[in-house]
Amino acid sequence: MIEHGPLLERLLAGEFICAVSDESAFRKLQDEEVREQIDIYLRPLNRRLATNEDRSVHFLAWRQLNEDAREQLSRQLGETVNSLLPLLEWLQLVQEALGQDSLAAPGDVLKPAEFSAKCEDNQSLRERLERLATDPFFGSQSEQLDAQMKQVFKRLKEHGYLLQPHADRQVFLVTAKIDYLVELVRFIRDEENLPVDDEAPARQETLL
Amino acid sequence: MSEEHSLESRLVATGTERLSLLGRYADVLMQGYTRDEVPLETLTEGALRKLLAARIVWRPDEHGAVKLTPKVRELIAEMLADETRRHVNADVGETLEQIRNLVQSYREAVSLGEHWQQGPLMLRLRQEVDDLNGRFADAIDSLWQRLNSDFGFVSRLNDKIRENDRAQKQIVRLLDGMALIDFDELIDLVGSDGALRKLLISQLQQQLSQHYTNLREVQGRLIELMARFRQQQKQSRLVAGMAAFLREHPGFVPGNYTRRSEVPELFNHASPLHAAAAPALDHHRDAEVLTGLLHQLPVAVHRPEQAEVAGPAMVEAQSMVEARQQALKQDVERFYLDVVDQQAPAAGASSGTSALAYLSESELEWDPEIWLFQVIAEYQGLPREEQRAFRLIPDESPAGPFNDVQLIHDVSLALVV
Repeated sequence: MIEHGPLLERLLAGEFICAVSDESAFRKLQDEEVREQIDIYLRPLNRRLATNEDRSVHFLAWRQLNEDAREQLSRQLGETVNSLLPLLEWLQLVQEALGQDSLAAPGDVLKPAEFSAKCEDNQSLRERLERLATDPFFGSQSEQLDAQMKQVFKRLKEHGYLLQPHADRQVFLVTAKIDYLVELVRFIRDEENLPVDDEAPARQETLL
Repeated sequence: MSEEHSLESRLVATGTERLSLLGRYADVLMQGYTRDEVPLETLTEGALRKLLAARIVWRPDEHGAVKLTPKVRELIAEMLADETRRHVNADVGETLEQIRNLVQSYREAVSLGEHWQQGPLMLRLRQEVDDLNGRFADAIDSLWQRLNSDFGFVSRLNDKIRENDRAQKQIVRLLDGMALIDFDELIDLVGSDGALRKLLISQLQQQLSQHYTNLREVQGRLIELMARFRQQQKQSRLVAGMAAFLREHPGFVPGNYTRRSEVPELFNHASPLHAAAAPALDHHRDAEVLTGLLHQLPVAVHRPEQAEVAGPAMVEAQSMVEARQQALKQDVERFYLDVVDQQAPAAGASSGTSALAYLSESELEWDPEIWLFQVIAEYQGLPREEQRAFRLIPDESPAGPFNDVQLIHDVSLALVV
């Protein structure tokens, strides 16, 4: 168990472990035997290993859901729902600023400076960033573009969606927690029967 | 014999001459490749005639522009591995027909004892087989190139999906072509001739089985990649759709999944637990280590303080300011509490309590501007959780028709229900 010490500590601290955030730990967690060992260790702490549908992120879940645990989860759900729109808008903003037609994916490299430059050139992007940065989730108090961008990246890093490999360099990596977020959105869509379509329109399919 | 020899040398001479045309006019030809037509300004009448005769360029219609012939275009695409224009030639039937004919001619030449015919026929047969082999190898190379670059030569996801689809169809055609090669038939055809057997059976079979494995591998990877493209497409649609929905329905609240008997895995994220530790002295060996660490601590440097730096009068003034600051803060806190008390029972939407109105009502003596500053500062100083419970509504207007600086006249505080 000793060799899993640092990994356990990160998991217990509430971190999401993925191939981007910690490749060797992630590989360990794909081993059923290791998972079992860790689960046994976590039992007295009322926690167990959990993973998303894609198995691209691992985190700790409550083993027994007592009243306190439910209370905490319910609060967390509320926070997640509140942060959903700003996070989705950020994803869209990244996609548009980079001129891509797919979302930022785990392992993608993002540079705040590059975004600032794109937003400076484009009034509509600039306004959307402004709105996003001052959203309570990102909570920027500044009117400066660079400071707003910095705050947005900082908050995303705090929430585990981005990773900054070198503290003194403004270069970020997208983590697989993005997958988790997208799965969350899909779950809510399905549960609540929301009129949100993700299939290609039929017209386009026939063209292929 | 000599007639044949002279024919060959003529072929070689003309071929060399025409091939060198490619090099001599490379510039113009490449312009013809990248554009729609070959620019004629730099070409002399004679040069154009030579290029037309060598079928390097052609005129689709009498007075129209001069263009590269399809074969030359293909040759260039092949040399550049230009995946947008590279073609896959899966027509195996024609080549097989050619091979059958050559084998028969060769066997006839052998049975008639015409040795001088055998050599050239064998050479052509070898070339046909190489051609067939090379065609598969080229196609596979082109497929791998496209796969490994994630179809990077087109930028939009829809184009990538279309290109992937096209590549998959090419593979199907190649596999169909491969299925036309019937080794039982070839075995019958070559009979007992050792050289033919080696070329058409053992060598070709080995090459083809390698191509087959390769094609299957590429096919599998293409299908995987296609699934990924579609997944990406779905994801970005989902995110765009959900964001639009949430913008339209700002008050949307999903069900509380955490109250279900089975909490969905995604929503069961346990609260963080920090493994804290403190120095302990109950192990003798640890105590030694700790002593060592203690000695290594940098010695704090205390500079003698100079008495005249901080005079007593300033301390007094300082504490006066602090006291007033504290009083202001307490009054503002009372304002917040008042808002909570007043607005809590009325569950409906509230427009909030004006900070300035409160100031005058409670007959406080603060300067209105200072008061507003502190109300705003208090809000910003609240922990995020508590901040969400309040809404701060500024009453502001631009400083002038041409000045977009917003002047705050008042702020209202409302409780978010």
